[in-house]
Amino acid sequence: MQKQQIHFVTGKGGVGKSFFAAALAQGLAKKAKFSPSKTAAHKPILLAEFNDHSFYQEYLGNNPAYFDLAQWTGTECLKEYALHLLKVEALYKLFFANPISKALIDVSPGLHELAILGRATSLPRKHGPPLKYQHMVFDAFSTGHFLTMFRSPAGLAKIIQFGPMGEQTRSIDQWIRNPEFCHVHLVSLPEELPATETAELYHSIKDEFGLTPKVYLNKYFFLKKADLKNEPESVKKYFTNMLEQQELAENIFTDQKIKFTPVPLIPEIDTEKLLHEASEYLVKEVL
Amino acid sequence: MIKVASTTKTIICIGTGGVGKTTMSASLASGLSKDKKVLVLTIDPSLRLAQALGIKPDGEVYKVKQNLYACTLNHQKAFQDFVLKAAKSTATKEEIEKLLENKLYKQLSTQLSGSQDFSSLFKLTEFVNSKEYDIVILDTPPAQHTWHFLHAPEKIAQLFNEGVAQWFRDPDQKDVGFFKRVLNTGTSQVLKILENLTGSEFVKELSMFFKAIQRWQTPLEKQVWDCHKVLTAKSTEFILVTALDPSRISEALRLSSEIEKQGYNLKSIIINRVPSWMNEEVSAGPLVRYVEYLKALEARLLGSKSKFGAHLKVYKSQELSHNQLHVENLSDIYHNIELI
Repeated sequence: MQKQQIHFVTGKGGVGKSFFAAALAQGLAKKAKFSPSKTAAHKPILLAEFNDHSFYQEYLGNNPAYFDLAQWTGTECLKEYALHLLKVEALYKLFFANPISKALIDVSPGLHELAILGRATSLPRKHGPPLKYQHMVFDAFSTGHFLTMFRSPAGLAKIIQFGPMGEQTRSIDQWIRNPEFCHVHLVSLPEELPATETAELYHSIKDEFGLTPKVYLNKYFFLKKADLKNEPESVKKYFTNMLEQQELAENIFTDQKIKFTPVPLIPEIDTEKLLHEASEYLVKEVL
Repeated sequence: MIKVASTTKTIICIGTGGVGKTTMSASLASGLSKDKKVLVLTIDPSLRLAQALGIKPDGEVYKVKQNLYACTLNHQKAFQDFVLKAAKSTATKEEIEKLLENKLYKQLSTQLSGSQDFSSLFKLTEFVNSKEYDIVILDTPPAQHTWHFLHAPEKIAQLFNEGVAQWFRDPDQKDVGFFKRVLNTGTSQVLKILENLTGSEFVKELSMFFKAIQRWQTPLEKQVWDCHKVLTAKSTEFILVTALDPSRISEALRLSSEIEKQGYNLKSIIINRVPSWMNEEVSAGPLVRYVEYLKALEARLLGSKSKFGAHLKVYKSQELSHNQLHVENLSDIYHNIELI
């Protein structure tokens, strides 16, 4: 098997992270020559979300055609980690059933986030049940919370220098900084302010973790000012403004030498058709 | 225009990210400030909106115009206010400093998912209870799910729960009599497991943290309870902001039914950013497809309107173009909100 890669999709709330993550997962499946007609075949791609309530199930069902779908909550990842470490089920039950430890785990900063990263890096670290996917795509938290998650291994490693968890956190930290294994995809909108914020996040990730994120301008409108000449005044005004914003956003990235890919706005209500169109685009233009 | 009950003192705007919740909160505040003294609490406003309001992100209250005040919450400061308020009557300066230096406290006040939710709720409660304003409007944090926000008091209450604190204040159980020690064997075993999982240093930090807040337990718990009371008060009104987008509409449907089941006072739903030009005749290919899509979305929305609770009022608000955001325009947004 080709070496595993993991992909975190992040960006500000409301930019279309979940949509992009699903399109990316489907695009990677197509690139891996996976065809959904071979139903018996093991799917090479996993799409995981970190939400408590599943966002995807409503749109994709339990068993989408191109990838496996999973919901990774901090609590569940933490239990898996504890069980792996404690070995004895009775001990683990005692621990998790105790109301005090439950309350404690709930409020411990970064513990849930760390457990999720622990599971995401479990294959190369040979720690925990193996997740033998070629690509794992994560519909990750939005900007601030994402940074909190990525900082959690180093942060906790500072508090816990010794003991098994200290060792684990250091190894997780090393793997998320490995550019061959770990990829960050920043989804943004083609507007001035979201682009400015994305550029900031890009630099934070690059400086702190040594990773070069891929940047996408989602809901990009492929249109020229000349196309608007016969349109009603209100339409012309609206789209001229939109095109100006797109240009401002592009200039921000160009000026800072950040590569970006526009992802077209696809006016399609049907989820299956939408993902088909978007993943075809990604295969052609990006992957 | 959107109607607000005359008894309403607090308005909480909820909804997922990217629907224009912050601008909507500011518009409601601006519109309502015609007759009442209004404060709007924003979280991470866009630069453009902050400029329009003339506010800085420093946690201070700024006067925007006659009767309209605005404040951008500073979470770290708000969380510190929360702890200091409880501590001030009993703790010494050294004790407070010791807590603020605690590594766990530092992480907790800045990085705990939920501490942002809680600190904004704490500030809201302070402003509401100060009775300085007729209406306080809160723009909720960009939580993926409003649940995190609504459950923030519970989560923080758990942390300050007597049982948890007592346990950590004395992890070695030196001060406890023999019988109590025997009774607590289960707990000490749990503590051992925790040590195995995390290491003894982590447990030491935890124990220091709880020792530090020991005497402030009761005032802290009372503050948490006050926050909860504001959320559930009859004079608190929730407004759900959503957008013309397939996933947002179904999210709004689910959220509104859940929030009502829990007994919160949800009164209105605003479909934000509806393009004003969507009924115009367009001819360019990409525009034709886009307009068809928007119309299909609107039709779907109107079809599902009955699925929102019957007493809920559904409104729509038109999309502004980018260079229209000025403080004078905020009231126009409010006045242009239409009932559908």
